[in-house]
This record gives sequence, structure tokens and C-alpha cells, in this order.
Amino acid sequence: MASADIIVAVATPPGRGGIGVVRISGLNLQSVFSEIYCGVVPPRYATLRNFVDCNGEALDRGIVLFFPAPYSYTGEDIIELQGHGGPAVLRSLVEECLRRGARVAQPGEFTKRAFLNDKIDLAQAEAVADLIDATTTKAVRCAQRTLRGEFSLAINVLVEELVQQRATIETILNFPEEDIEAQGDDGQYQAISSIEGRLEAVLRASQQGSLLREGAKVVLIGQPNVGKSSLMNRLAGDNVAIVTEIPGTTRDPIRLLLELEGVPIYVVDTAGLRTAQDAIEREGITRAWEEAEDADIAIIVMDCAQLGSEHQYLEEIVRRLPNTLPKLFVYNKVDLVGKAAVIDEEAPPTKIWLSAKTGAGVTLLKTALLEILGWNNVGEGAFMARARHLDAIRHAKNYLLSARENQGRLELVAEDLRRAHESLCNITGEHTADDLLGEIFSRFCIGK
Amino acid sequence: MNCTNEFDVIVIGGGHAGTEAALASARMGKKTLLLTHSLETLGQMSCNPSIGGIGKGHLVKEIDALGGAMACATDDAGIQFRILNRSKGHAVRATRAQADRVLYRQAIRGRLENQTSLFLFQQAVDDFVIEGGRVTGVVTQLGLRYSARAVVLTTGTFLNGLVHVGESSYQAGRAGDPPALKLAQRLRDLKMGVGRLKTGTPPRIDGRSVDYSQLKSQPGDNPEPVFSFMSGPGNHPRQVPCWISSTNERTHDIIRDGITRSPLYNGAITATGPRYCPSIEDKITRFANKTSHQIFLEPEGLTTNEVYPNGISTSLPYDVQIDLVRSIAGLENAVLTRPGYAIEYDYFDPQGLNASLETKLIRGLFFAGQVNGTTGYEEAAAQGLLAGVNAALLASERDAWSPQRSEAYIGVLVDDLITRGVTEPYRMFTSRAEYRLQLREDNADLRLTEIGRRLGLVDDARWKCFERKREAVAREQERLKTTWVNPKIQEEVMRVIGDPIEREYSLFDLLRRHTVRYLDLMTLPGAGAPIVDDAVIEQVEIQAKYFGYIERQRDEIARQEQAETMHLPADIDYSLLRGLSIEAQQKLNKLKPETLGQASRISGITPATISLLLVHLKRGFRGIRQRSA
Repeated sequence: MASADIIVAVATPPGRGGIGVVRISGLNLQSVFSEIYCGVVPPRYATLRNFVDCNGEALDRGIVLFFPAPYSYTGEDIIELQGHGGPAVLRSLVEECLRRGARVAQPGEFTKRAFLNDKIDLAQAEAVADLIDATTTKAVRCAQRTLRGEFSLAINVLVEELVQQRATIETILNFPEEDIEAQGDDGQYQAISSIEGRLEAVLRASQQGSLLREGAKVVLIGQPNVGKSSLMNRLAGDNVAIVTEIPGTTRDPIRLLLELEGVPIYVVDTAGLRTAQDAIEREGITRAWEEAEDADIAIIVMDCAQLGSEHQYLEEIVRRLPNTLPKLFVYNKVDLVGKAAVIDEEAPPTKIWLSAKTGAGVTLLKTALLEILGWNNVGEGAFMARARHLDAIRHAKNYLLSARENQGRLELVAEDLRRAHESLCNITGEHTADDLLGEIFSRFCIGK
Repeated sequence: MNCTNEFDVIVIGGGHAGTEAALASARMGKKTLLLTHSLETLGQMSCNPSIGGIGKGHLVKEIDALGGAMACATDDAGIQFRILNRSKGHAVRATRAQADRVLYRQAIRGRLENQTSLFLFQQAVDDFVIEGGRVTGVVTQLGLRYSARAVVLTTGTFLNGLVHVGESSYQAGRAGDPPALKLAQRLRDLKMGVGRLKTGTPPRIDGRSVDYSQLKSQPGDNPEPVFSFMSGPGNHPRQVPCWISSTNERTHDIIRDGITRSPLYNGAITATGPRYCPSIEDKITRFANKTSHQIFLEPEGLTTNEVYPNGISTSLPYDVQIDLVRSIAGLENAVLTRPGYAIEYDYFDPQGLNASLETKLIRGLFFAGQVNGTTGYEEAAAQGLLAGVNAALLASERDAWSPQRSEAYIGVLVDDLITRGVTEPYRMFTSRAEYRLQLREDNADLRLTEIGRRLGLVDDARWKCFERKREAVAREQERLKTTWVNPKIQEEVMRVIGDPIEREYSLFDLLRRHTVRYLDLMTLPGAGAPIVDDAVIEQVEIQAKYFGYIERQRDEIARQEQAETMHLPADIDYSLLRGLSIEAQQKLNKLKPETLGQASRISGITPATISLLLVHLKRGFRGIRQRSA
């Protein structure tokens, strides 16, 4: 089954690597995409080329591989761009491809195409099916987690406003005989323009990296001297934080980039959350709470040798953390009380008994982290899932622009708004024609 | 064996669905029997005396393109015609007519009586004959047995109908007709998914008691629009206006005082009514800050004084109805001729149907119209026609046919019903159609006449007329695409287009511009002679205006159509499919979609699920079919 679409994705695992591979699949690829690598290359030879953007500015230098259809993994033309592995380079390469008409591949889509083009043996079918299903749900979860709160909030607000505008226009188009207050006036086009502008702002912010990041953020929280910094050192494998016996040693949050199974994870060690003695330490504690605000997960560390006295602090900490923030309780120093390292996943939050000092139970913690973050067996990075989201926003923005250009021709405006909304629904979830009617009937008194 | 009791197709019910079903089947040459409890009410309009409107007018034109009766009958019976949204684009324009009830019934009955291969008989049906999972006939009230290869059920609100007026209620099919209780029980016994819906009508008024001097008149359009591609304004009877009044604070006080006696508010009615057609008591409760609601006084016909006050559907007690009507300007001395009422009735979950409208449970049994949870004459007629066609196709052992969502509103209607079911009486709106820009009233003939001809629905006269128009449009489009305008005649171009051109353009490209009109364009030197047929000019012009948008949707439609041709076997047990979520398994097992396209539109079925199905489809669903093939 031939497909008209050209798809693109980063083929190497998420995170930083020595090289990063961007893979494109579709029909007649070289005619358009060879611009990126400065001219057609021969099939199946590794060719060293400059990768450039649409203005001819160099992005990277690397190897191009071209596999013409049908002798390729998917059975279609395939181009592989092997560049240097940084996320920024890969992102700009993918963006160049999108600009030239490709779309971001769905999870497992290369494999699916391979299967549909008889490139994969039938016995592998179920594995393909499993892969598609597993990657889709997890990748979506992943993308949502790595897009900061402000991002999804902004999009939800914009979709809400877009639905309002659609409801107004559809009311005018579908109920011309009702005496309703719906007007297709200038205010409406201003509203559309405002949505468009804010989508643009989201896109700009995402390119500057202020709203988006690769990987997840984990904060370590707990009373002084329960072993947060030791735990961080254990996770990192070398001495990053200063570990001493004096309570209140960690005054500034310390950041550490870990890679767990190739997944980038920022761990932030915070100042112990006790009532501070001096100004510097108080400042450190304030920062600790701020770090918790936009974290993806909070690890609350306790000393299991002193559990009795920690209980009231624990309640206080949990109360002050955002409700929606997933939490993990770690009971450190099992070695001191002669307990074994175990994990209790019966009810949230997950509880882990371990020893940062001996390393017992640290693997349990790593696995639990990946599980909660939705990174287990994802198969594609948050980067690709996120690229899909940004692509959807870009499309939506273009449809809104077209809607404004069609001002006064309501049925065309309605069509543009429908398409813009459809694009954004890739981020926020399904919205049906019936949902839109519900919006209309709740706002306008229809019923001649 | 009595051969007069043997038919190819039997249609139960003589409303808008039943009559179109019977006519379609008979047009296709099948020996067809229409059974109704009363021949007098064939083609009866039980609710308001109007046909068409946004979305609905589109359906009527499609029915017409497929040779159906509704458009022609409305042209014969319509006493006020208007184009709604005339100031907006063609895709959202729609024709609406007030019809004379008596003339409409006559127009329909005349067509039924003169249709070859069609037999009419007055008998209520009590039972089906079902053998080996297939319907083979029906049994009437008197015990008469008729056999057929296919049966179309179109019993409207008659199944377990329950009429409410204030605190009293009684069983009825609609006010004045008996309900079909035995048939309803029989269908419940067959384990069809049954639900309850509600709808209502306003009280009727004696026109002689209306003070028209206080009302605003709403005349029809001039020139008079027509519904059928085969009609002209000459088909219309005398035209009359509608009248507009409105409710006021006093009306709302009266309703508020009486509301505890409304069955909608005292708990007597439990079924769901339509959100877009609320009762007046609903309107003033839900939009309490609105101090006035419009009322349209629609004449019921040329030979009756009865008037239909559109906008005050109610089931309040009769004494409250009188007071509320008389509080309205122009109706101070109104005399009521019938009380308004609400009716609750059974419908069958349309998710139990195939796209052909055949039930998944019983082969050869088709459901059409209000029994499927829809509302409106047009929605009923459209389904009736489709069910009639498919009953006839089944009787001829031919493959079923159903239009795609990109082909017709009929396709949108049926697909919505079978993939999503209903939660309120389903009415067509253009916002339901993702391909609205190409599903227009003006091109319903171009979209469907050829298919109708192939199915045997379109007669020679219509076909000839259609072919002439289609060829003329194509020829003119070709001419416009190959006639070039040179920038050398810039002055002339500026006059016609308002902007200079920087290079050569074809006439077609210039016509695509929003503000350029065909007849103006033809005044350019070298543009050639304009065509004279207005219908052809209109079509050429509209197609040029929407050209860009429709081209853009072409890929999307092609991809969608590919999914529509991928058939999912009916005997798959989805719970054995690895990788499907429990929710997806349950939904797919319940609905058993016929194609991948249908599956993709079931709520909660994700693109990932579709990819999975595609993979399994490719390997023939080995090991997970219920019976081995």
C-alpha cells in the first residue's frame, strides 16, 4: 500500500549520543530533500555532506545515506541523515524536513510501513502491533510530562477560545432564522487573531527552549541530614553534592543530569526543609519549594532510623507540594536498622526502602522513576512526540491566518477554524461534531 | 400458494421513510408491498408543515437526485419558498418551504398509486416471520401472512408511543393514531437495543382568531425557489406568507406558574428530547434572562384555517396552553384547534445497523426513519430511500450501497448513526459534515444522479436533463481553463477584476477570485460568448470559487476512501486481538464495524488501534475469527 505522506523521525534513542540519525521515508524523496544535504547522492553509499537550512546556513556536517524504493526498510525511498547527536541539531534537521512537506512520524510508523509493504515477515506482525500500541500511549504521556505546565495550560486555553469562536460561527451558519445574539463581527476576527498570536508565542518560546526541555525533572526533598545528597551521589555515581554530617549543608539546589537507560533526567537536590537558622539557608529553602513547583516527580527522602520524629514533617511536606505532582517516598539508611531493600507499590505513593550508602535498593528506585515518568520501553523520545505537538500548532496557526484572510466569507472561515481545531486536537484530545453542537445549544437559545 | 402474498420487498409504515423506501424499491423493479395502518395518512406531516432548511434542504435535494419523491411533492404542495443564508456562500445555502399538508399528502399518494410494481395495503403489522436468522415475511393484525426477501421497518414514533398533555398521558402513535404495541414487544423480544426518546409539538390555532394586523409578515422569495432539479416555479400552488410574533414577560410568567404541572418538570417524562428543539418551558428555564422568544405562525395549508405556531412546542396542561398562547401579541383571542403535546417512543440503537440500514441481527430486516433515533421528515425520507434501495439490492442478490461521508449528507447521516449512535433525536446540521464545502444543495445532482441511474432509480427524462447539464458545465470549464487573458489588455482587466494582472491568466483562474463574476468576465475582449443557461453558469461559478478548498481536501478524501474499502470480517473476536485496550475490544465487539473507516470513527478508537487493525487485516486476522473461513 503506497502512502502519499512523507514521514520523518529521529531514529536514534533519546538523549545525547555520539551520532544522531534523522530518518525520512516516502516517495521521490531526493527531488525535494536533497536541498538539505546540498544535492542528490548515489544510492547506498555513505556520502559526507554539509546539512543546511533553507537559507543555506550550515546546520551540521554528516553522512547521508539514500535507499531507493523498494529496496529499503519501509519499501519506500529512505534518506538517513547522520549528524552529531545533540538535541538542538536533530531538532533543526527535523524542522527542515517538516518545512519541505514531511510530517512527524507516528510512533511505530516506519515499522508499520515496512510491514504493509511486505518488508517484514508475517511472524513479526504481532510484535509490530504491540510496538505501535505501547509506544503511542506512552509517547503521548511522555510528551505531556516534558512540556511544562504553562505549555499545556496555554494550549488548553487557546483551544477553549477556538471552540467558542467556532460555536458562534456555526450558530450563524446553521440557525439563520433564530433571533440570536451571535454576530460574525470584527471582534471575532480580533479574537481569532489573538489566538493566532498566542500560538506564535508558544512556538517562539519552544524554539528558545524556555517552555520545553529534553528529559524529566526530579526533585529530592526531605529533612536535613536524611541523606538526599548521598542518594544523589549514588544515582550519579560520583561526588556531586557536598555530603557532610552537618544539617543544612546544601543551600543552593544542585542540579545533576543523569541518564537512566538513555533517558535524560535532571535531578535537583534541595536544601533541607527545616526551619532555617540564617538568611542564606532560608533563601535556599525558598528555592527548594520553587524547584518542586515545576518538577515532574518529587522524591521525598526520610531516615528510617528516625521515622517517629519525621512523621509530622512528612505530612507538612506533602501538603505543601502540588497535588498533581507524582510522589515517591524513599526510606533511606536501611543498613542502619538492618532492614532489606524493598519496594511497596500497593497504593500511591510508591514507597522504597533503600540505602544510599551501600547502594542496596537504588536499582528499585531507578526502575520506579522510569515507570512513573512513562519512559519504560518507549521506543521514541519525548523529542519526537513533542515535535508532533509543535507541528500541530504550526498548522493550526496557518489555518487561523487563512481564516482571517477569508473574513466575511463565513463558510470558508468555518472550514479554516475547523482545521485549526482539528490540528490542536492532536494535542488536547478528541472533540466531536456533537461536542460542538453541545457548545452551541448551551450558549444560544435555539428552537424555532 | 397464493402468489399475491409474495413480494420481493415489504415496507411497514407509510410516513416519509416508508413512502420513499417503497417508491425506491419499486423504481428498481422489485415487487413491493407497502403496509400501513391507514392509507389516509400516507405522507402525513405530523409535526410542523415545513420541509427543508439548513442541512435538511441538502438531504431533500439528494433524495431528488436519487429519483425520490420528497422534492417534487414539496414543489407541488409548497405555499412559501425561501433560500436560507442567501447572503452567505453556496455551501451553506438551503431551501426551505412551507407545505400545504393536504396537497403534500395528495402529491405523495399520487406518486405511490401510480408507481408500477408497488402495492398498497391497509393493515397494521403485528409480527415478523424469521427463519434461520433471516426475515422472510410479516403477519398482520388480521393474521394475514405476506412473504418477502427483505422487510423495511419504518414505524416512526408508533412503537410504544406515549402522549403527554399536562398531567394526563395516553398511549398513541401520534395524537389521533393508535400505537403499535405488539410489534414493539416483538422487537424487544428479538433483543434489539431499545431506548426511549421524546419529542413535542405546539398547540394549533384557528387562523380566523388571529389578529394579523399586529404581526410582521414574512413573504417567500421572489423568484420562487424550487426543490427538485426537474421542477420550475410553475409547479407551485398559490403562495402565502408566514407571520412573526414573539413571547413576552407575561407569557413567561404564565409558563413559570404552570411549570410544576409540566410532565417535563414533574418527572413524568424521563426520555431525552432534542437540544435544538426545546419546549417553550425549557427555553424560559434554561435562558431565564431572555425576555422574548420569536414565534413563527405558519399556515397549514390553502384549504384550512389551521395555523402552526412554531416555537412554542409544549406539554403544559391544556388550560396553561390557552393562557400562554393568548398572552402573545396578535393571539389575544386565539382559538385552539388541537392541544400541544410531548410524545415518548421507542427507538432502536442504530449502532445495531450496517451502513445499508440492515440490522446486524436479522438478515433482510432494514430499519429507517425515526425508529433509528432521528427526527425530521427529511432525515426519515433519506433513510427510507437508502433502506428501500438496499432492500431491493438484497432481493436481487446485489451488493449493498451507501454513500460515503464525502459524497452526500445521506452518507454523513447514516455513518453518524451507525458509528456513534444517538443520545437525543438526531437532526442534520451542516456542521456535522467535514466536507461541507462540497456537499452543497446546488451540486446534489452532480454528486448523485449518476449513481442513482446505475442503481435503477433515475428515469430517462431526469437522466437526459442531467447529462445535458453535466456536459455543458464540463465544456464551459474546459473552455475557461484554455482561454487566456493577456496583461496587454490591462485596462479592461482592471475594469472587470479591480486589480492588474502581472502575467497571463486563464479565465478559470480569474473566475476563482472571490469578487469576479462570470458574466462580467465574459465582457473581456477575447473571452468568447457566454453560455445562456443560468443553472450552468451558477455551477461553473460556484465550482471555481471553491476550487482551492476542494482540491486541498482531495488527498484526505482519497485516504479516507481507501479505509472505507477495507472490510473487517463480521466474525472477528476482538478480545483475542493482542495489543488492543479493553475499551477498544469491547467497542469493536459490540459494534462490529464493517470497514476500517467505520472503525476509525467510533468514539475512543485511536489511530494506534486503527494501525493495529490494519496490521491484522493484512495477515487476514488469522487465529482470531470465530468460525474458520
